[in-house]
Amino acid sequence: MDPSSPRPAVVIDNGSGYTKMGFAGNVEPCFIAPTVVAVNESFLNQSRSVSKGNWVAQHNAGVMADLDFFIGDEAFSKSRSSSTYSLTYPIRHGQVENWDAMERFWQQCIFNYLRCDPEDHYFLLTESPLTAPESREYTGEIMFETFNVPGLYIAVNSVLALAAGYTTSKCEMTGVVVDVGDGATHVVPVADGYVIGSSIRSIPIAGKDVTLFMQQLMRERGENIPPEDSFEVARKVKEMYCYTCSDIVKEFNKHDKDPSKYIKQWRGIKPKTGAPYSCDIGYERFLGPEIFFNPEIYGGDFTTPLPVVIDKCIQSAPIDTRRSLYKNIVLSGGSTMFKDFHRRLQRDLKKIVDARVLSSEARVNGEIKSNPVEVNVVSHPIQRFAVWFGGSVLASTPEFFTACHTKEEYEEYGASICRTNPVFKGMY
Amino acid sequence: MLLLQSHSRFLLQTLLNRAQNLEKGVELDHHWVEFNDVRYHIQVSMKNPHVLLLSVSLPTPPSETIFVCGLPFGAIQAIKAAYGNILQILDPPRDGFNLTLKINLSKLPTNQDQRHAFLVKVASVREVVLGAPLRVILEHLAARTVASDMDPHVALVHRPNESFFLFPRADKVTVVFPMRFNDSIDIVLATSFLQEFVEARRTAGLNNTPPCSWSLTPPLELKEVSVDAISANAGFVTFVIFPRHVEGQKLDRTVWNLSTFHAYVSYHVKCSEGFMHTRMRRRVESLIQALDRAKPDLENSKKTSHNRSFKRLSIKDSRNNSFS
Repeated sequence: MDPSSPRPAVVIDNGSGYTKMGFAGNVEPCFIAPTVVAVNESFLNQSRSVSKGNWVAQHNAGVMADLDFFIGDEAFSKSRSSSTYSLTYPIRHGQVENWDAMERFWQQCIFNYLRCDPEDHYFLLTESPLTAPESREYTGEIMFETFNVPGLYIAVNSVLALAAGYTTSKCEMTGVVVDVGDGATHVVPVADGYVIGSSIRSIPIAGKDVTLFMQQLMRERGENIPPEDSFEVARKVKEMYCYTCSDIVKEFNKHDKDPSKYIKQWRGIKPKTGAPYSCDIGYERFLGPEIFFNPEIYGGDFTTPLPVVIDKCIQSAPIDTRRSLYKNIVLSGGSTMFKDFHRRLQRDLKKIVDARVLSSEARVNGEIKSNPVEVNVVSHPIQRFAVWFGGSVLASTPEFFTACHTKEEYEEYGASICRTNPVFKGMY
Repeated sequence: MLLLQSHSRFLLQTLLNRAQNLEKGVELDHHWVEFNDVRYHIQVSMKNPHVLLLSVSLPTPPSETIFVCGLPFGAIQAIKAAYGNILQILDPPRDGFNLTLKINLSKLPTNQDQRHAFLVKVASVREVVLGAPLRVILEHLAARTVASDMDPHVALVHRPNESFFLFPRADKVTVVFPMRFNDSIDIVLATSFLQEFVEARRTAGLNNTPPCSWSLTPPLELKEVSVDAISANAGFVTFVIFPRHVEGQKLDRTVWNLSTFHAYVSYHVKCSEGFMHTRMRRRVESLIQALDRAKPDLENSKKTSHNRSFKRLSIKDSRNNSFS
């Protein structure tokens, strides 16, 4: 690499739903594409039907199938237009599940979307705080062996979400990150940039569950949506119309009193016949996001509301950090984008905290007054790619290049250098 | 996807987005880098949302190439011919860049198709600028002439401090690429890839394509070129372009494919590495399965997989320990 004019690092944030990719030093990622790969499987089936002895044909079919794939929005349109492609989602619940698909996905990101030469750039990738060291090793292996990157840093996405906040206000690296993505929801306390590993909470409700819940609501009401399209429609409705209400009963009343103001229309075209259809969107506008606050309406075993989980998480953290943790609760991930989500979260959390303070004061008969605990849920306009932005900020500092694992280190010690991340080696 | 598209995907996306929302005065300031060290910078200010500044920096040219005012020869004419008066060249360019273009978005063609075609053309600015000298030479070939002031061999930059060589004649143009790779595995893969590539040219369906050959030693044409410029570790690829390859519409594609040949090979080398890793992973998985099947008693192994990695004392054990 030419030291006089270093090339910007490539920052790729792979989420279960969307992948955000771009170059460090910019405010926005270049591309936000769905994390999906469409693979042509017709070649594989063909080769199975021909005789076993014909290995050349089999080999060529394998080679062709390896080159014939699409990612992102192209993958969706390909799988819709022809039945030869099948969709694979390489990341589920925040963890990489299919490494073959992941490698192909990265390959397309680098060569076809960003169009850069991976040998020229340092890379910053992200992972969830609960990723196994083995999976980090795998990532390192693919990056160094396949793409020959000169340096790699695998960052923890919650720390990056905190780093995203520090340019807009002051340099604050203590806080709780509430990361609600499409596939996973984590509540991660961070103190001075170090993750408090023992206090991480994760809940099994995420953006995809909101979509599924809304799909179910619309199906039960008997809306006229073609079944093969209903998940996609529910996802789009969620992204466009959902909001968080302050009180469900009041919200139901509002809807009933003035339906014309609250009920929206959705128009679409049936994919098979091409006939247009329309359907109403009513209560699901606020009931969708409500599953974070009242999980019992979604069904399933999990019934702890998100504010309670956050409170428990902070209570389990070391006592000297709790006040500053309450003061800085940062939202990140696409599913925190619902209107007024942060207000609702702040209000509910404040209620819990105030109740606790009151009861402890009652216990000592009001002889000791404690300082009120400041609860502050921070939301910023770039929540959707806050993690990416944090990565971009981090990777544009000169210290980033010294923190990276380099190719020389990899060749000297092997993939084990990627096993650990310094942010877990904090004082706790 | 086997061939790279000539337009930059991100640049086109940004331009289309801008052209659609002209009235929204949103600030834009974006840097990015493409393969072979072509850097872009795009800027729109709040004050003037109709004016878009696009700066491009090219790979550092090696000493043997001809650059006029920081651009390959013929580039200025090519830009003027391609874009007309919708676009201005700013002189001097932005600091650290070779070329800065000022695009007035309010002057774009109103017809949707024309506008899209124009924006695609802007997004392929790299092809227009870097491919300009190649285009001049190939246009002469299409007319079956050689420019009188042309050297017998021409070096054109395609990667930082690397160039490829052209030998223009009236009836053909010989193009020689010295192939260089950094990584030892890449060198081996690229060598065998290029041998296969030359072999594939011989199949019946490809009779009309330009003849190509590969050799480990520099071809005879390169004997007048300095030794430094032609050090290559993955051999030399030679294409012979005939006038039939540059007729009419084919010219654009030939120019683009030739100027990105190295990126094409490099991309395929990476693809084959990925392919081999997929195979290796599958092999490891099948071997692990075979090992699992070979285990003597399944019940025991199932238990161990659920066990924790550390040994836990049961209540009975701890009691025994404390009382004894």
